[in-house]
Amino acid sequence: MHDLRNPSGLFFVLLGLILTAMSFTGATAPLLEMNLNLYTGLFMLAFGGTLLWLAKRAS
Amino acid sequence: MNLAFVDYAILALYFLFVLGIGWFARKRIKTSSDFLTSGHSIPTWITSLAFLAANLGAQEVIGMCASGAKYGIMTAHFYWIGAVPAMIFVGVFMMPFYYGSRARSVPEYLKLRFDEKTRGLNAITFAAMTVFSSGISMYALGRLFELVLGWSFTSSVILSALIVLAYTYLGGLTSAIYNEVLQFFLIVIGFAPLAIAATIKAGGWQGISSRLDANLTHSWRYAGDATQNPMGVEMFGLVAGLGFVLSFGYWCTDFLVVQRAMAANSMAAARRTPLIAAFPKMIMPFIVILPGIAALALTKVAGSGYALPMKGAGYDYDAALTTLMAQFYPAGLLGVGLTALMASFMSGMAGNVTAFNTVFTYDIYQSYIRKDAPDEHYLAVGRWTTVVGIALSIATAYVAQLYNNIMDLLQLVFGFVNAPLFATFLLGMFWKRATGHGAFWGLLAGSAAAWATHGLSVAEGKGAYFGGPLYSFPSTMAQNFWIAIFAWTVCMAVSVTVSLATAPKRDEELRGLVYGLTDMPHDPAPWYQRPGPLGIIVLVALLGLNLLFW
Repeated sequence: MHDLRNPSGLFFVLLGLILTAMSFTGATAPLLEMNLNLYTGLFMLAFGGTLLWLAKRAS
Repeated sequence: MNLAFVDYAILALYFLFVLGIGWFARKRIKTSSDFLTSGHSIPTWITSLAFLAANLGAQEVIGMCASGAKYGIMTAHFYWIGAVPAMIFVGVFMMPFYYGSRARSVPEYLKLRFDEKTRGLNAITFAAMTVFSSGISMYALGRLFELVLGWSFTSSVILSALIVLAYTYLGGLTSAIYNEVLQFFLIVIGFAPLAIAATIKAGGWQGISSRLDANLTHSWRYAGDATQNPMGVEMFGLVAGLGFVLSFGYWCTDFLVVQRAMAANSMAAARRTPLIAAFPKMIMPFIVILPGIAALALTKVAGSGYALPMKGAGYDYDAALTTLMAQFYPAGLLGVGLTALMASFMSGMAGNVTAFNTVFTYDIYQSYIRKDAPDEHYLAVGRWTTVVGIALSIATAYVAQLYNNIMDLLQLVFGFVNAPLFATFLLGMFWKRATGHGAFWGLLAGSAAAWATHGLSVAEGKGAYFGGPLYSFPSTMAQNFWIAIFAWTVCMAVSVTVSLATAPKRDEELRGLVYGLTDMPHDPAPWYQRPGPLGIIVLVALLGLNLLFW
């Protein structure tokens, strides 16, 4: 079976890109006082990237 | 709640990935064992997260947030005493028997240890419970998406069912497990921002504590008196009912979670699975419960901009999670949150379906309908059982629409079945004198005791259908805990009595199945990876958390 870290990592990298892009559109919510899309997007990019790096290292 | 195009795109991306994982997993399916048990080949880190995610259904995610708003930090007991100690126990003490016996399922272990009738009783009750549970999960998903997004009930149910069917039909247990790991990551990352944002808005834990009654922000201080704490339970009921019987009854015997550990690639990995899972399990209250507590605190603050919606004269606690998401999640993250909610429903459904098809194929079909068929036949049966299981779940979801208390019924059924089962396993694994007759009649007596307790007592207007009531509990939670205590106690007493009056199996038949006749495995891993020390590390961390929120 393929290393699960590959599809998982790719999924979160893609999500991270989407949220980071959305953070520049000014999307907000009624009670939100921070750019949550940006912080979460960057975290997802880092998380997904880490998974991909771990998978590459293992292979 | 209005979704933007990007939110739908995120949902579609998720569906693409879960189907893709199922597609790739199908390539390794050659035998029924590959399909139904993953051929005992999964690495520890995957089985650990799947062990956790299979239990992390949306009813838990939504329900725990709701309970956080209603009961405060005491809700964390469902994790800190209601899960982690049992997870340590099953990893350290029970997994050598489950994995070492080479049983393909929990009912099969009962057959090896006791006899066929005990296996049959457990297999049939478990199969029925998993289908109902999967169906109730679909019903809850359909209702939620209907209320929150305006999607039709049928669309939500059929869409989720078809996606789960596709990836479990293709890749079997491996696909379900791999997707559960993805779903776990998504659930944590999808809801953690909500917990952070809501808590910051409420002024952090200090701000929350200053706005709520003290019994909502202390987990043990008010647990000694049922009239003092919001759960309406007293210490013995909490510790013995939840912390011992219900907790161990679920985490140590429910094949849905045990199956994930049994799919591991070695005995050491199987033992480490629940122990490693215990670490994120301890942290989950901060993801799923804390938002609910913050929601209540924000409701108490005039001008915060947020208030829990009302339902009759009280709060609609079940709406806490979705209303928080609507207030704190912008487009993009809203799609992630809803996808995480969908993922939590689907992980619960897939977990139940894969457990169902393993038990049905091996413990019911192969045992009673057609023995000694070629393995290809059982592989085909496993696949078709997946289809039937999903179909029955859909049917259950529609039936559930006709009753307004079906979730309560499901919780009761779990209590009736799992509580006595734990007594049976304790005796079976640690007392070689326990017999098949004792196990079988003990299980039936325990379930009957649970039913009698419910029928003769009342709590919040529920129960007391046998007359009386003989006792009135301050809450349904207290009633459920005591039902479990009585069920376990009666099962234990009857099992011991009948066992002593019947002939046990010879020692040679029990090797590898019971303590004292089994060589406990030696783990060559470093000390901090061995089950015993790992369990102690988990316990120390758990103690720290309990003291922190005393």
